[in-house]
Amino acid sequence: MQSALVRVLELSKTFKRNGGETFFAVKDVSFDIQRGEIFSLLGPNGAGKTTTISMISGLLTPTKGDATIDGHSITKEPLVAKRLLGVVPQEIALYPALSARQNLEFFGKLYGLRGGGLKRAVDETLDLIDLKDRQKDKLEHFSGGMKRRVNIGVGLLHKPQLIYMDEPTVGIDPQNRRRILDTVLRLRDEMKMSVLYTSHLMEEVQEISNRVGIIDHGQLIAMGTVGELIQKVGEEDRLIFTLESDRVDENIIQRLKSEIPTITSAQFDPRASDNPDAASMSAGKLTVFATRGRKALPDIIRIANEAGLGIVSVEVREPDLEAVFLHLTGRALRD
Amino acid sequence: MRLILDVALNDLRILFKDRGIWINLVIIPIVIAVVVGYVNGAGNSGAPSSVALLIDVLDLDGSATSTQFLAAVRESNPNLVLCPVDQTEADICRLGEDQISPELIRQRLEDKVSLAFLEIPAGFGDSLNRGEDVTLIYRANENAVAPSYILQAVQSAVTRYGGVQAAAQVGMQTADQIAFLQFSDDADREAFANTIRENADAIWATNPVSVTRVDAVAGESSGGGGGGFAQSIPGIAAMYIMFAVLPVTPAFILERKNWTLQRLAMMPISRSQILGGKLLSRFVLGMIQYGILMGFGVFVLGVNFGSAPLALIAVTAAYIVCVTALALALTTVVTSNGQASGITLFLTLVLAPLGGAWWPLEVAPPLMQTIGHISPIAWFMDGHQQVIFYGGGFGAVVIPIAVLLAMAAVLFLIGVLRFRFTN
Repeated sequence: MQSALVRVLELSKTFKRNGGETFFAVKDVSFDIQRGEIFSLLGPNGAGKTTTISMISGLLTPTKGDATIDGHSITKEPLVAKRLLGVVPQEIALYPALSARQNLEFFGKLYGLRGGGLKRAVDETLDLIDLKDRQKDKLEHFSGGMKRRVNIGVGLLHKPQLIYMDEPTVGIDPQNRRRILDTVLRLRDEMKMSVLYTSHLMEEVQEISNRVGIIDHGQLIAMGTVGELIQKVGEEDRLIFTLESDRVDENIIQRLKSEIPTITSAQFDPRASDNPDAASMSAGKLTVFATRGRKALPDIIRIANEAGLGIVSVEVREPDLEAVFLHLTGRALRD
Repeated sequence: MRLILDVALNDLRILFKDRGIWINLVIIPIVIAVVVGYVNGAGNSGAPSSVALLIDVLDLDGSATSTQFLAAVRESNPNLVLCPVDQTEADICRLGEDQISPELIRQRLEDKVSLAFLEIPAGFGDSLNRGEDVTLIYRANENAVAPSYILQAVQSAVTRYGGVQAAAQVGMQTADQIAFLQFSDDADREAFANTIRENADAIWATNPVSVTRVDAVAGESSGGGGGGFAQSIPGIAAMYIMFAVLPVTPAFILERKNWTLQRLAMMPISRSQILGGKLLSRFVLGMIQYGILMGFGVFVLGVNFGSAPLALIAVTAAYIVCVTALALALTTVVTSNGQASGITLFLTLVLAPLGGAWWPLEVAPPLMQTIGHISPIAWFMDGHQQVIFYGGGFGAVVIPIAVLLAMAAVLFLIGVLRFRFTN
């Protein structure tokens, strides 16, 4: 059995609000990351993902708890622990006036690389992020996706045992997003690195992760493989009805539950749906969880029609992490 | 140390990637220094690079002894110009067609043309040779830039010359009384006298010559226009060092915003090394700024900045350390780039004139001179004036350096304790 590379034990971080009130940004978060696995922290914006990562990477001092990387405490031996860690922050933390190569060389030196070793590491990294032909161009002339690739490259220069990536696909086009996700998979599969990945995008977390921790309001509310987490919501499908109406009477929801026994829960969100056409009609969104959801679909539509709820669109989703989060918190990930 | 250098060199590389930096480092400060130099009097004497401290001399003795004495005064401070003895065709003494007289001397002191007046009485040489005490008259404008240094030079010459004379006199008298001590010729006798003079320097205790100092007419500054560039070059350098160093404050804010500062904090480098590197780059930039302006002064304008360049560099280094510490402390109180830019501009434009960067602090009222020493520029300028105008060496800049380093220590303490790597 492989030993854990990272052990996070009851990490907590408090901040003070402007009024002087203390609040927990992260509270008693504990998890392990095994060698060679991709562990993702999934949660909405402001859930505490970046704060957790910032403590593990030594940027913030924990109010309570500790984390070790290969046995080295981030609070007691920060420089040793940080040497084992590669960091890819959410922001493009690079110098735009310098070229891609100059950025990599500078950060490489801070990781202790010198001379031929540094040159080799920079060349290999430029190959990995596929920017060798643009290495001498200033970063300020790069597209967002190319900057993100350099941002990732800096974290990989010294071939760390653990690389942490904080929302590395934010704000980039699908092509670059695909390239970054493929790179993350290569880090695990070919370079045998462990990856600590944070995102609020369920799809990419579900695709690349060995294990996932779901974090909300600073607390880890669930952890396991994607399959294990989905089991928490059973075999329920999620049926999403975009409605013309922005109100649904509670009696109708009760009627749905009583007449269709496969429905386990139903929620109405009066805010405009993601559908731009529907949004123009001030539509709301009715989400119904039901086992064998497709079979329940005709009955639900019938009841909705009888109640005078105009249905704009229907979407059937298989169980996924989004459903898990909704099931656990009563809110959507993007809320 | 290597990591500190890596951070510093990277910052310098980023700074110099912007070619516009040379406009701020070279062109603008040089233009301002030249303009301010002329405003401060450079060019009035036709010799803008020389620092001429004019002393009027009334030699009523006119003997070889008085001439030798005046030479000793001149040697004690190379910036002294003894008028009318050192008068040149370019009229360095600013006498025009006038002849030195007691009335003219008084007038020149009142008009702030000369800094001091020295009268050598008739019979000065004979009295000394007979071993009698003699009295010189020294009169100075007490508000002038450098009266104490002129008096110091005169006293130094008096001590040295008086001691030598007395020793030679006593020694030769003794020699004449010793029957078996015969000199082969006059040269042999003079060589013996010289030996006595050399030994007397070490053992001379009592000065047979006294100086009566008479502080005369009050006035403002003096000294003609020769020192304009010697004042303006270091003054504008001090101001532009602030312009070069203080922007580390908005640079820190920008790095926090771009997350490069946070990224550095997550790398295997200590926070003190990160701060050290970032501040070192600004220190180097400040020294480059100083070197450009002083180099322009020496090699293009031909300004004489004194004979102790190491003392100037030491006081400059202490000043830049102080400004760097000020920038770090500022970083802990401002929260936006706009605030940072505004406050650094405000501080520079207040501290520069307050500290004497634009004109000599001596022309300001005594209260403002005291208040002005809140500004590190005042201590920087004090150190430079000691070396440039008064011929001081390293010892003359110890106090300015100590004050600047003390200020730096306080500001660094505030900065280091309050500095945050995150927003």
